[in-house]
Amino acid sequence: MSSPPGTNLQNTGTPHLDEMTILLYLERQLDRARAAEVSAHTQECSSCRLLLRALERESRLLTRAMLEEEEPLPARLTSFQEAARRSLQWIWMLTFGLAATGVYALYTSYVEPVQNRLQDAGFGGTNLLGLLIFQGAFWKGWQSMISLVEVLALVTLGTFTAMVLRRRLRRGSMLAMLLAGMCGVMLMPSGTTATEFRKGQNTEVTSSEVIKSDVFLSGDRMSVDGTVEGDVYAFGRTLDVTGHVLGDVIVFARDVTVTGQVDGNVRSFANNLTLRGTIGRSLTIFCEQLKLDRSGKVNRNITSFADSFLLDGHVGHDIVAMNGRFDLRGQVDGDIRLRSEVFTIESSAQVGGPIHYKGTKPADVSPQAKLASAVDYEHVDKDREHGGGAHYYFWRLLWSAAFILYGLVLILLMPNFAGDCVRSAENAGASLGLGLLVGISAPIAAGIACITFVGFPLGILGFMLWLIMLFSAQIVFGGLIGRWILGPTEDKWGRVGRMALGMAIIGVVVPLIHYVQILDLIFRIAAMTWGFGAIALTLYKRVAVTPSIPIPPPIAA
Amino acid sequence: MNAPGTTESAEAIARARAGDQEAWGDLYREFAPAIFRFCRRALPTREDAEDATMEVFMKVRDKLHQYDSTRPFTSWLYKVAANHCWDLLRRRKIRQDKETEDLDTLPLEHPDPSQLEQLIEKRTSEEVRKALDKLPSRARMALVLRYYSDMSYDEIADALGVRRAFVGVVLLRARHELRQALEGSGALAVGGAG
Repeated sequence: MSSPPGTNLQNTGTPHLDEMTILLYLERQLDRARAAEVSAHTQECSSCRLLLRALERESRLLTRAMLEEEEPLPARLTSFQEAARRSLQWIWMLTFGLAATGVYALYTSYVEPVQNRLQDAGFGGTNLLGLLIFQGAFWKGWQSMISLVEVLALVTLGTFTAMVLRRRLRRGSMLAMLLAGMCGVMLMPSGTTATEFRKGQNTEVTSSEVIKSDVFLSGDRMSVDGTVEGDVYAFGRTLDVTGHVLGDVIVFARDVTVTGQVDGNVRSFANNLTLRGTIGRSLTIFCEQLKLDRSGKVNRNITSFADSFLLDGHVGHDIVAMNGRFDLRGQVDGDIRLRSEVFTIESSAQVGGPIHYKGTKPADVSPQAKLASAVDYEHVDKDREHGGGAHYYFWRLLWSAAFILYGLVLILLMPNFAGDCVRSAENAGASLGLGLLVGISAPIAAGIACITFVGFPLGILGFMLWLIMLFSAQIVFGGLIGRWILGPTEDKWGRVGRMALGMAIIGVVVPLIHYVQILDLIFRIAAMTWGFGAIALTLYKRVAVTPSIPIPPPIAA
Repeated sequence: MNAPGTTESAEAIARARAGDQEAWGDLYREFAPAIFRFCRRALPTREDAEDATMEVFMKVRDKLHQYDSTRPFTSWLYKVAANHCWDLLRRRKIRQDKETEDLDTLPLEHPDPSQLEQLIEKRTSEEVRKALDKLPSRARMALVLRYYSDMSYDEIADALGVRRAFVGVVLLRARHELRQALEGSGALAVGGAG
C-alpha cells in the first residue's frame, strides 16, 4: 500500500468495496465525494451494506465491552494521595543521598585501595576504568580526562537528562542531536594524537627512520628497527623491536621479541614473548610463553597471565602473576605475588621483597637462592582454585534447587503477594532505591530497638523479617527475569514456572561470572537489593490500602 | 467522550486551577474511575493501572494551567492518560513498534459479512474484554483510544506516534487481531468474499 488507505477504493480487483474503505466511511474519515460514492454503492450492493452493518455492530460491541465492566476502584485510589507523593519524594531524596554516600564509602574503602595496589603492580593508571579498558591504550586521552568519580557524575547527569527528555526522545530530531553530541564527544580525544599507519606483508620502521608520532603497524612480519617517539600499535604474526620506542608498545601477535628499548610500557596479547632488551616502565602480558632473557630488563613491574614464565633477567619492582609454571632464575627487586601450579626458584635467583605464593604444591626453592624472606606459601585446592570443580557445581545446583523450592512454597502460600512483588520489581528505580534504603536502615533500626529493653522483641522481630526478606529477594529477582522472558501471567503455576526459569538463569550466570570475583559480588548485591526493594515497595503499598468503594458510572457512554 | 466538561466540572476546574484543594478533590473523585478504567484497558495488569492512574493525576495537577478551557476537559484528560500509558509501555519495551512499513502488509479485502455477523452475535462483552487483553499493546491501545475514549484520528495519531493516514490501518489491523483472538483462528481476519 504505497498510498494511504481509502484513496484507491476502486482498485481492489473486486466489485465490492474493501473493508478499509467501509471502516473509514463508517468512522467519517472519507472526504465528501468519496463518502457519497461509498454511500451510493452500499445502497445497491447488499454484501457491502451487510459488511458496513457488521463493522458498525463490532464498533458498538467494542465500546460496550470497554465501558460495561463494573470493577471496583482500588482502595488506594479513592482519594488523591498528595501526602504519599510528598513522602515518596523524601524517600527518593534520602535514597539518593544514601546511595551517594554508599558509593563514596565503597570507593574509598575498596576501589581506591585496589586501584593503588594495581598501580603498584604495574598498571600505572589513574583509574579503574582505564585499567578495565586496557590501560586506556585504545582510548588515549580519555585516561587522563576521566576518573571513576567523574564517570559516576556523568552517568548521573545522563540519567537525569534522559528522564527529563524521555518524552522528547521519541522525536527523531532530538535523538539525532543526542547521537551527534555523543559522537562529537567520542571524537574529541582522537584529535590530540597523530598516528601513522603502515600495512603490508612486511611492515617495518627502518633503522634510519625517526617517527615523531604514534605508529600503527599491521602485517605478517613487523619490525621496529628505528626510533618511534610515540606509541607503537602492532597487529600481525610477528613483531621484532630492535630499535627505540619512546612511548608504549601495544601488540597483538603470535611471536613478539623485544631486543631494543621501550621507554614506556609493553602491553601484549601473544603466544610467545621474549624480552632481551629493556622496558622502561611495566610489562603486562597475556600469553602462552613469557621469557625474560638474562639481558632482559623491566624497570618497573610485570603483570603476567602466562602458561609458562621464565625469568632470567631483571625486574626493578614487583611481579603479579597468574601462571601455570613460573621459573625464577633472575633478579626481582620488589615483591612477588603469584598464583601458579609449579613454582621453581633456582640458585641464581634474587628477590628483594616478600614472596606470596598460592598454589597446589609448595615452591621448589634452591638453598643458594638469595631471598629477602622465606616464601609465604598458601595451599589452594585445585578444584577450588579454578572455581569450577564438581564440588562447587554440586553446591551451586543444590542451592538453586533449595531457592526454587523456597520460592515454590512462597508463591503457593501467598500467590497474590508474590505476584505483586514481581510487578513492583518491574519498577527498577524504586525497587533498587528502596532496597538500598531499607536493606541498610532496617537492621540498624532493629539494632537500636534491641538496645532499648522495651523494644527488644520488636527489634528481634524486625531483624527476622529483614532476614526473611533478604532470602526472598533473590526469588523475586528470579521471578522478574522469568517474567521478562515469558511475559506477565496471573496464573499461580505460571508464576512458579517463571520463578524457576529465572532462578535457573541466575544459577547459570553466577558460576559463569564467578571467575571475576568483583562482578559476581556486584551481581549478587544488585539482585538482592532489587528483590528486597520490590518486597518493601509491595509492603508499602499494602499498608497504604484502605477499604474499596464501588466505581461510579463512566464519563463517556 | 460525549460527556465533556459539565458546568459543574468547568467550575471545579477553574477553582482547582486557582489552587482550591477541595475543587481538585471533586475533580479527582469525578474522573478517577474513568481514568482508572482507561488505564486498566490499556495496560497489562491491574497493578500497573493503579500506579498509572495516580501518576496521570499527578501530571494533570501539575499541568492544569496548560489546559485550554475552551476544549472538553475529558479530551485533554484522556490525552494525558494516553500519552502516559503509551510512554510506560515504551519504557518497558513491551510496546510493539511495528511502524508504518509493517502496515503495508494489510490486504484490502472484503470479508464475508455473514461470518463477521455470526462472530459478533455469539460473543459477550466479557469475552471481548478477555480477547482485548491478549492483543499486542499497540492494537489494544488503538482500540481503547478510539472506542473507549472516543478520540479523533488526529489525537490517536499524535498519541501513538503514527501518521494520521495510517490510523485507520492500525485500527483495522487491531480489529483483525481481536477477531483472531475471539475466534481462535485467522479465518475472518483475512478472509475475503471477493
